[in-house]
Amino acid sequence: MEFVHRSGIGVRPERSITDVAQIMEQSGIGSVAVVDGDVLVGIVTDRDLVRRGLAYELSPDARVDGVMSSPVVTIGVDADVHDALGLVRSHGVRRLAVVDGGRFVGMLTVDDLLVELARDLADLTRPIQDELGHPHRDAKVPAEMHS
Amino acid sequence: MQAKIGDRIVVRGHRIGEPDRDCEVLEVHGADGGPPYVVRWEDDGHETLFFPGCDAAVAPYESSRG
Repeated sequence: MEFVHRSGIGVRPERSITDVAQIMEQSGIGSVAVVDGDVLVGIVTDRDLVRRGLAYELSPDARVDGVMSSPVVTIGVDADVHDALGLVRSHGVRRLAVVDGGRFVGMLTVDDLLVELARDLADLTRPIQDELGHPHRDAKVPAEMHS
Repeated sequence: MQAKIGDRIVVRGHRIGEPDRDCEVLEVHGADGGPPYVVRWEDDGHETLFFPGCDAAVAPYESSRG
């Protein structure tokens, strides 16, 4: 899962939603793992904070586990980009929690997948671009070969 | 990544103009200095669990205190 580029951030379930919003703002991320001990119990997204927090006028001190999404769709650390795409498609989610032996190690987003796919596409089209920029000329067949 | 309590970890900015962030390791939860870590962020003082990706590195002690 070398295409997980960003570090992950986690918080305890009792953390306040205000704290989590501030952590997202400072970190420039849209989701945070909620971890109890070593166990991933949910993820909270900026969308969760709005739809389950602000929309219901929850107290700024409300616990984050009250608005988190759970259970979390997970993917093993050895999975490839096609496995990830399959999970995103079948579950209709934008984020997958990456786990190694059941332990959370990071978050994989649709953005990560798009970057990875764009890179693959660039690798595939490079020979075509080279051919367009510098057309390959085959050597002419010697005259004596013509009948 | 391997780190110990008191180490400083630097996380590279992802967009042009976005500054690097750094944090201090307060607790090491993995085996042999491995992640996750409980860290305190230098810019806002928040404490979080941190799961380093390839955008993070342990800063050398000298430069981290410079």
